[in-house]
Formats: sequence, C-alpha cells, structure tokens
Amino acid sequence: MPSKANAHSLCGCVNRRAFIGGCAAVLVARPARSAPAETVQFGLTPVFLDSDAELLAALRRYLSERLGRPVQLVKKRTYQEITLMLLSEQLDAAWICGFPYVQYRDQLSLLAVPLYNGKPLYQSYLIVNENNDAKGIDGLRGQTHAFSDPNSNSGFLVTRWLLATMNEAPDTFFSRTFFTYGHRNVIRAVSSGLAESGSVDGYIWEVTKKTEPDLVKGTRIIRKSEWLGFPPVACNRRAKDTETTREITKALISMNTDKTGKDILATLYLDGFAREDPALFDGIAEKYRFVQNSIRRLG
Amino acid sequence: MNGRRLNPATWPLTLKMPILVAVLIITIAAIASNIVLMRLTETQKTSLLGLTRAYLDGLSIAVMPNVIRKDIWETFDILDRARKRYTGLYARYTIVALKDGSVLASSDPLAFPVKSPVSADLAKLFPNGEELVIDYKTGKAWAYRALKEGNSLVGSIFAEIDISDLLQARHEILITLITLNSILTMVFVAIGYMAARRMVRPLALLSSYVERARQGEVNLIPDKRLPGRGTEFGDLFRRFNAMAKAMNERESLSTRLAEEEKLALIGKLATAMAHEVNNPLGGMGNAIDTIRKHGEDKDVRTTALNLLERGLAGIANVVRAALVTYKGGNDPGRMTHGDLEDLKFLIYHEAGIRRLQLDWNNALPHEIGIDETMTRQVVLNLLLNACAATRIGGRVTLNARVSDETVIIEVTDEGPGIPDDIAGQFTRPRIGDLSKHGGGLGVWTVGTLVKRMGGRIEVGGDTFRGSTLTVILPIEERREFHAVA
Repeated sequence: MPSKANAHSLCGCVNRRAFIGGCAAVLVARPARSAPAETVQFGLTPVFLDSDAELLAALRRYLSERLGRPVQLVKKRTYQEITLMLLSEQLDAAWICGFPYVQYRDQLSLLAVPLYNGKPLYQSYLIVNENNDAKGIDGLRGQTHAFSDPNSNSGFLVTRWLLATMNEAPDTFFSRTFFTYGHRNVIRAVSSGLAESGSVDGYIWEVTKKTEPDLVKGTRIIRKSEWLGFPPVACNRRAKDTETTREITKALISMNTDKTGKDILATLYLDGFAREDPALFDGIAEKYRFVQNSIRRLG
Repeated sequence: MNGRRLNPATWPLTLKMPILVAVLIITIAAIASNIVLMRLTETQKTSLLGLTRAYLDGLSIAVMPNVIRKDIWETFDILDRARKRYTGLYARYTIVALKDGSVLASSDPLAFPVKSPVSADLAKLFPNGEELVIDYKTGKAWAYRALKEGNSLVGSIFAEIDISDLLQARHEILITLITLNSILTMVFVAIGYMAARRMVRPLALLSSYVERARQGEVNLIPDKRLPGRGTEFGDLFRRFNAMAKAMNERESLSTRLAEEEKLALIGKLATAMAHEVNNPLGGMGNAIDTIRKHGEDKDVRTTALNLLERGLAGIANVVRAALVTYKGGNDPGRMTHGDLEDLKFLIYHEAGIRRLQLDWNNALPHEIGIDETMTRQVVLNLLLNACAATRIGGRVTLNARVSDETVIIEVTDEGPGIPDDIAGQFTRPRIGDLSKHGGGLGVWTVGTLVKRMGGRIEVGGDTFRGSTLTVILPIEERREFHAVA
C-alpha cells in the first residue's frame, strides 16, 4: 500500500477502472447474494461508529422490526468497497460518505441524511498532536499526515481541496501520508504521534471526545472546515422507488419516534434522519471539481 | 583474658554448638537459596523465552503483509492492539523496521518516529540473531525477530520487554528465603543452645567432682545423681566412681604403708638405741664396781662418777631424740636448730659400725617455719640411706641452710649413686611404683612427705663421686611469722 495519498484516485477514469475491477472482484467473491432474497442488505462505511457491537445489533434489530424482514449489516474496510457494492446493487442501501455520493450522484439516490445538532451538516477537522506547535495548515508542511480514506470527504477531500487552493498536493506538501481507513484511527494515529497531523470527521472527533476523552486528549484542532452535508444514506438509483427502499427510508426518518431508534440515535449523538435535497452536497461536489481541475492543471 | 575470649577453643560447648549449628544452617541455606534462585532464573528465562516467541510469532504473522506493503498504519494498528491486548508479556515498546533499518512503525511513535533509523545500540544487542537478550542489572530484556519472505529479509521486529515482575518475583522469593532461613536458623540455634546446655550439664557435675579430686577430696558421685546405665554419661560417671573408689583405696593403702615404714624405722632405731644404750652400760657397770670397791678414793670416785654421768647423758640424748622424732615436739609447727642436731645421735650407731666420718654443717636458725616432724623423718631417712650406701670408712655430709625463703638440706654420700627409677620416686612418688620396686618404701615416704610440705627433692651426683640429695622446703609465712614473733 503506497503511503502517499494517490491524487489520481480522484480522477474519474481511475475511479471507473477501480469500479469495474471492484465489481469484478465482488462478483467473483459473491457471484450471487448468499442471503435469502427477502433479506435486506444494508451497508455501513467506516464513517459510522462501527466499533460498538451492541449498537450494530440494536440497529439491525430496529431495521428488521421496522421492515418486517431480516436485515444484514454489511461492513467493509474501505469506502470504495461499500460504494462498489451499492453501485452493483449488492446492497439495498448504504450509509456512505458525501464524497462518494457526489462522485456517483448520477447513479445513486439520496434516502435520508442524519441530523447532527438538529442539522444535516458536519465539519472536517484538521488535527495535530498535542505537542505539535502548528497553528494552521502552513505549519504542517514537511510533516507526517494521516488521512482517513481516499473516498472520505472530511478525512481526505477537504484537506486535499485546501492544499489545491494553495497549489499544493499531499505528496509534495507533507513528508509522508498514509490512510488509516477509519476516522477514529486518524485520531489514534495523531494522538500516538505516529502522524503529526490528520484529517478527521468533526462529528466523529466530537463524539469520541465524549466517549473516549483520553484518546482525543492527545490531539488539538487547528482548523475546522465550513459546514458540509452529513454523510447520507443512499441507494442505487435503479432501486429508488422499490418497496424496500421506501421502507428503509421510512424506518430511518421515523427512528426518533421509536424507543430502540431513540437509543440508537442517542448512542450516535444524532437527533434523527431527514429527507434532504441533493443540493446539500453541492459544497462537497464543488470541492471535488476544484481538486480535479487542479490535478489537470498541474498535469 | 580477651585473647582467651577470642580463641574459639576456649569457648564453652553451649556456645560452640549453637554457633556450629548456625554456621551449618546458614551455609546450607545459602547453597539451597542459590540453587533455588538459579533454577528460578532458568525457569523464568525459559518462560520468558516462550512468551517472547509466542509474542513474536503472532506479531510477525500479523505484520508481515503490511511490512511487505510498507503500510505504516496497519503495522502500527497491530502493534498498538498487541500492546493493549497481549497480556502474557508487557513490551515497553515494539519496533517494526524495514530491511534498510528504518522504522516502519513502532508502538511508541514519539520515541521511535516513522522512517527514523533503529538505534545502533539496539541492533548491536543481537549479533547472532538471538531472540532474547536479558540484562538483569538494568532489569530489561530485548527481543528480536527477523521477518523473512522465503530466504529474503523484508524487515525486523525489535521489542523491549518489561521484566520487572520477574525481578520482583525473584526479589520476593529471595526475601522469603532469607526470612524463612533466618527464622529457622534462630529456632535451630535456640534448640542447639538448649540441647547443648542439657547435654553438658552432667559434664559440669563431673567436672566439679574431678576438680575436688584434684584438690585431694575424692568423693563418689551419689547414686541419685547418676545418669541411667547404658548412656554415655551413665557409664562415664560409673567409671569415675570406680576410679575414685580405687584412688581412695590406694590412699588408705599408702597411709598404711607409711605407718608400716614408720614402724620399720622404729624397729631399726630400737636396735640402734639398744646398741647405744648397751655401749656405755659396760663402762657404767665397771664404774659402779670401781665405786663400790674403791669409792673411798676421791679421785677414783670422781672419775667413775664422771664416766657414769657421760654414759647416762649419752643414753638420755638417744632417748630424747627418739621421743621427739616419733611423738612430736612441743610445738609441731616449728623446726628448731636443735631438732636437726638431735638426728646426729640417731645415726651414730649406723655411722659407728661402718666407721663413717660425719661432716655436719647445721646452719639453720634457732626457729624456722617448716614442719619439724616430717622434716626430721625425711632427713633421718636420707641420712640412714646415705650411711648404708657409703663405703666403709667413707664420709657422709649434711649441709642445712636457709636461702630465699626456703630451707635447703643437702645429704651427700660416697655410695654407688642412685638408680634413675629410684630417683624418680623422690621427685614423683607414685603408689603404683611402690608395689613394683617393693623395697623403695623409704624413698617413697621421703618423696610423699616432701610433696606434702610443698617442697621438692633434687637428685645429684654420680657413680664415682656418690650422690647428693637436696631437699628444698618452702618456709610457710604463718610459721615464719610465728617464728619471728
């Protein structure tokens, strides 16, 4: 695994190649759905607080009860894997990141967006080790930087965009970068000193601060991005009008009216889910375009 | 005094035995503790090696693909999780290095940053690829594992292992051993002391009886204080009692023998006295006849009466000397000049029949603080022996004087000398030798009496010149004081 963030992963052609390769890999691995036809496949990306087994069990139970059908939660290491499964209709729905959503907006359909502090918005944080004196991104030049995932908005795109505005790229600006494939892992990497700085989901950082204050204590925020669309739940556009999709959407939207649902939301420090306009993610889309242009410009 | 205290040979058994027990126990305890600690160290080392191998095995399997991919995060993630979850071993830090010696990831990135070179000191610890190096002095251990894909090296794992719990366990065991051994030593020393005291108690009793015997009071140990038969002390005490009984018997025998010797001497003297008395009797009878026949003649009568007077004086001298010698004088504590002079009369007969010349030099003062009865018996014996030993017509010499608080009386003869075994009887009179030599009773009596007076006898002279026996008697202060007063 090259440690440098591959700027080309933002390039559409590469993504398509990866997509085709990924589909092939997934098809080889899973030539047909192993679960019974009526089982709902719900994908989760590492943006989600996926370390809590009880939370996952509660979520699965809640969805199963609300849908009246068995639900299987599908977790993968990278955003790309979940995105590819969604695009290849191996999943009925998935909680993905805003960045993959804008990348494949023509193939995906928005079901619901979580409400954090009453709004479907969150921020990306640039964090440093508590011993790092850097005041802003300029102070991070020549240091080691931890990204979350190449397909994460808060964990990669925002910082990538910020560098692009400075006519910089991660592999030239930082001495070394690596992906941890998890926002909590970014916090661990920065807190331990493995990386001197990192790009992390602000929502995850804030929640971790409440649940694991010792872990967050070793980090310090040096920059918060503007408010951007919260990682949404999406489905393949071809399945947007199916009964399953409607039921999933309904179950998510009404989560804050159910006891189990409320417990899940409380654990996640979320207020609920809401239907939102795809325009919510225009900010992310704009950043994506800017970076793509920057890469083309720089050759 | 201090020198004696410092010399272990003079220490009492009650001290020596507990010290010996303590030394033995401490020695055994030290050896046993050393063996225990050595075995413990070996076991700990084996156990640590096993744990280290398990740790390195698990770690190397997990990190290998990430090392090949040079994946910093995944390598760190494994190290970080292993640090928290591997409870069998506490690694202070673990470093995964690439084959070029640079750090790929470590469990402590602040101390060992990514891409920094692995310290040469750490790498030098494993010159031959050892898996585990332990330094007990610093309480640290280091583990090493080469990561190989086939035959090619792709990286290495270094770890510093905390062995403080092992050292703590060793320390605790050492303290336990020391405490336990100290308690055991003290208990055994106390038991040893009590046992030794109990064991030597009969010895102390025996020692007191032996000391009393040395001072002349030979008592038997009473039956009620005798340990049981068949025991070592029981047998020893009974042997002592048998010996004491024999000593008492010999003592009474020697007293009886001395008495017999005295009687024998009396018999001898009685003969001599009869002789001495008989000698003037003829002359005295003639004198009486002369007076009876020619008593009117004044000159004849005077001459005959003078002869009678001398004859009676001679008889009176002999009788007085015998009385003083065998009945004792008026003051038994004092010897006088005259007491020695009297002896001359007692040997006149013996000297006369052998025609011996008496060379008599009595330089004793008027009174002197020595026992006159025993002294006279000793000197008379020596003089009679000298007269008997000296050739006919020879000379017997007596020199008596006071020198340096002692009385020195020398008797010299012109005899053939005294055999060594007889001479020994003078200086060390032993009742056993008496029975061996039979006739040495006089010699034995002299030796015994001189010893009783606290004096000694020196035997001099040779076969050609005859013998000189020198009796040296200490003047007793009490008697001296009495004499002076």
